[in-house]
Amino acid sequence: MTTPASLDRIPPRPAALPQPDVRVAILPGDRPTVAAEDRVEPGQPILERLRHPQVAEHGVQGHAAPGPGATFADGAAVAGSGRHALRFEGAGEILGALPGGRVRAVVSRHHSLVESPVAGTVSAVGACALSIRADGVGIPAMFVIGEPSAGPLVFAVESPAAELHAQGIDVRHAGAILVAGSRTDVESLTRARAMGVRGVIAGGMVGTDMVALRASLERQEASVHASPPFALAVLDGYGKRPVPRDVWEALSQAAGRTVGLAVTPPLVLLPPDAAPADADRSRIRVAAGPLLGRTGRVLDLVGLRRMSAGVYQECARVALDPVAPPGAQEIVDVPLADLERHG
Amino acid sequence: MILGASPCFTLDIGSASISAALVAPVGGRLRLLGSEAAPAAVGVEPLLRGLAERVGAADPSLLAGHGAWQEWPRVESRTGPAPRVALAGASEHALEPLVDAFTRDGWRVSATVTGERSRALETALVMRDPELDLLVVGAPEGTAREALAELVAAVAPVAARRPELAVIVSGAAQVLLPGVDPDRILHGHGPADTVAVAGDALSSRRAGREAFVRSIASLAAVLDLRVEGVDVGLEAGTRVMAGPDGILRRLALADGALVPPAALEDQRLLDAIARWSTLAEDAYVIRDRLRNLRVAPWRDAAGDGARLRLAAARAALERLEEAWQDEGRERVGALQRLSDRHGHVPEVAPDLLVASGGAFAVPPGPVVALALVDTLRRPGAMALALDHARVLGPLGMLPDEDERRRVIADLLDDILLPLGSAIVAPGLRSARRGSVTVTAGGATTSLPLAPATVQVVDLPPGLSATAEIDSPDDLYVGARARRVAFDVTGGLGGLLVDTRDIPLRLPDRAERRRAYIDAWQRPLWTNAEP
Repeated sequence: MTTPASLDRIPPRPAALPQPDVRVAILPGDRPTVAAEDRVEPGQPILERLRHPQVAEHGVQGHAAPGPGATFADGAAVAGSGRHALRFEGAGEILGALPGGRVRAVVSRHHSLVESPVAGTVSAVGACALSIRADGVGIPAMFVIGEPSAGPLVFAVESPAAELHAQGIDVRHAGAILVAGSRTDVESLTRARAMGVRGVIAGGMVGTDMVALRASLERQEASVHASPPFALAVLDGYGKRPVPRDVWEALSQAAGRTVGLAVTPPLVLLPPDAAPADADRSRIRVAAGPLLGRTGRVLDLVGLRRMSAGVYQECARVALDPVAPPGAQEIVDVPLADLERHG
Repeated sequence: MILGASPCFTLDIGSASISAALVAPVGGRLRLLGSEAAPAAVGVEPLLRGLAERVGAADPSLLAGHGAWQEWPRVESRTGPAPRVALAGASEHALEPLVDAFTRDGWRVSATVTGERSRALETALVMRDPELDLLVVGAPEGTAREALAELVAAVAPVAARRPELAVIVSGAAQVLLPGVDPDRILHGHGPADTVAVAGDALSSRRAGREAFVRSIASLAAVLDLRVEGVDVGLEAGTRVMAGPDGILRRLALADGALVPPAALEDQRLLDAIARWSTLAEDAYVIRDRLRNLRVAPWRDAAGDGARLRLAAARAALERLEEAWQDEGRERVGALQRLSDRHGHVPEVAPDLLVASGGAFAVPPGPVVALALVDTLRRPGAMALALDHARVLGPLGMLPDEDERRRVIADLLDDILLPLGSAIVAPGLRSARRGSVTVTAGGATTSLPLAPATVQVVDLPPGLSATAEIDSPDDLYVGARARRVAFDVTGGLGGLLVDTRDIPLRLPDRAERRRAYIDAWQRPLWTNAEP
């Protein structure tokens, strides 16, 4: 018989994080446009990022050299004044002083803006990252690739197990973050970016497509014109994986409102009132195997069972929720390790 | 003394799973009463409560009078992601010895950086990696002053702004890092010393793997045998050879992990793992299943999941073996002529090979035995055992060597699951036949010795036997011989008689390769379906 204590043996789904800390990497040459304790809103610029940065060196000609980490604007005097002042061609950041009275800097004439993916308060501006304490909740994702982004949440599929294909994306989705169901592919993501979509949330993704997307994002980075930020959030792993039911419901609560995607840590950022509801602790989701994505209720922990390939695993007896059209209730033994507890 | 008077939990807390064992005094000696493992997300307390309740229900007298389980002492070892180091030097060439030393000590070398202008941007990016744990500035004697100054200019400013970053200057050259508190800077002389200094600086991150090494050394001393230990987990692999007098060789490899993190992006690495798979699925499906094994290793452990996990374990052992061989070749140096025609150093089999770690927790014992023989190939005979309750790591955390040996001696029969024995004897030419005669307790079994195959002789746990090989050709079993006898012990996998090459060569064609691997492991996976 199950007791609240015995249910602890089932791995919990990573809990939603209230007011999570979101970090945005500060790259060489980045200039923060906000300071600690500042309020930020989704889409507000928080960093000026150099595009196509170059390394430049300059003699300080007897002037006091600025310290490493000092940032400067295009054409501004870095040391000294007047005609003999030290100036770099472009804006940038001093990397350090070199032997022989030279300074080395990373510079560029072009920059883009990095936007906040969330409403919150800047908690720290450090050497490597800028941290924002978000106002809402963060749903942990398996990973998020791309840049932090924000936009209104739009459902592009009708059920957690559906797949998003390229023809399902059009100009109406410009600026939005799309919920893509159990899987999407690199063609759909390419089209989404071309249409100005800011992000896609999917349950799973084929690894090869993921690698292709990453390469595509890097090529985009190297192109002449800056493009709007785009991120892909994968909630549950590789391959086709339905969006977990509790996350689907939380996303439904946030539909039409502005949500964000954070890369570090990988989070889907929702408004405070869209947090997944506390579920009955006996409610579970099957997270692996042929029943992947099915939900149900644990009836009992049944101890070790001999599974296929001679493997012994601790199992739970689970009453699965009927699938449409309603049929007879299925009761199955599932390894604890393949389950995910909601509560 | 931590272990002795009352029940005690041992805990091996890994990135993927936690294994707990309950040890208690019974009849004047320590016994292993039970063990359980669970995904790491479950946490320690539910696991210990379940274990204590189960043992208590089986025999209440064993734990009576010892109070509540929450009060029993715990001995725990933790393993996590390999610490990350950036190596900075005047040139890539100058950094090679440091790269080798850190890689073989279980570090993940995240980048090597130089002070050259052409790499200044890359260096600045590496230095801002928030996951970086350690910066090593390599400055061997004779480094050009200007190159050193450029290097310092490249790394010192960010090191100064990151007080959490450990910094080591390696080598005899005088290096000043402006802006970095001199008390923060540690010094190492040469690669080996630098690795030792780094290990001390981040000792808590490496304690679990060090503990396993200590336990294998204690085990070798207790048994008075040459013992080899191999541990494969989610984040790294460890291998150690110890004799009665101490550790003979050791290797820790971040890339010796079950599925290394790099595999998420590196298709070639995934395909190298998939070479050991017997699943006839599309390549992209297998790759995604392997990626899922990396990100959620506790899931999908039965059926094809078990076979895929075993393939990943074999590939991890193969990577460990490759690094072990590389190091071996460097050790013999001028004695390179001793290596065989494949360049392998003729290291003979240990007396006992012990496997540990989450990678071996799921597949049945007999196929684990075959996986070990497939990959860690040594000529000669050896006994095979599995640290099934993952107790060796925690026991290595006991601070007192005498206590550790006493505990291991007490628990020996409980913690080492006998997988059987293996005789690896390559050299039989095709179309020739020999024979193997196994004599145990007066009964004799004889079977023909076939070339390039592995045969299984049923030899149950607890049984000792003598295996005599009679061959028409010279077999290589540590020395060349046509007639040779070994003392062997039984186990779940019985006795494996292996006449395949060293190293094992697999066909390039996927279907043939799958057929070979399947044929080798089918006898050991017989009756595996429920």
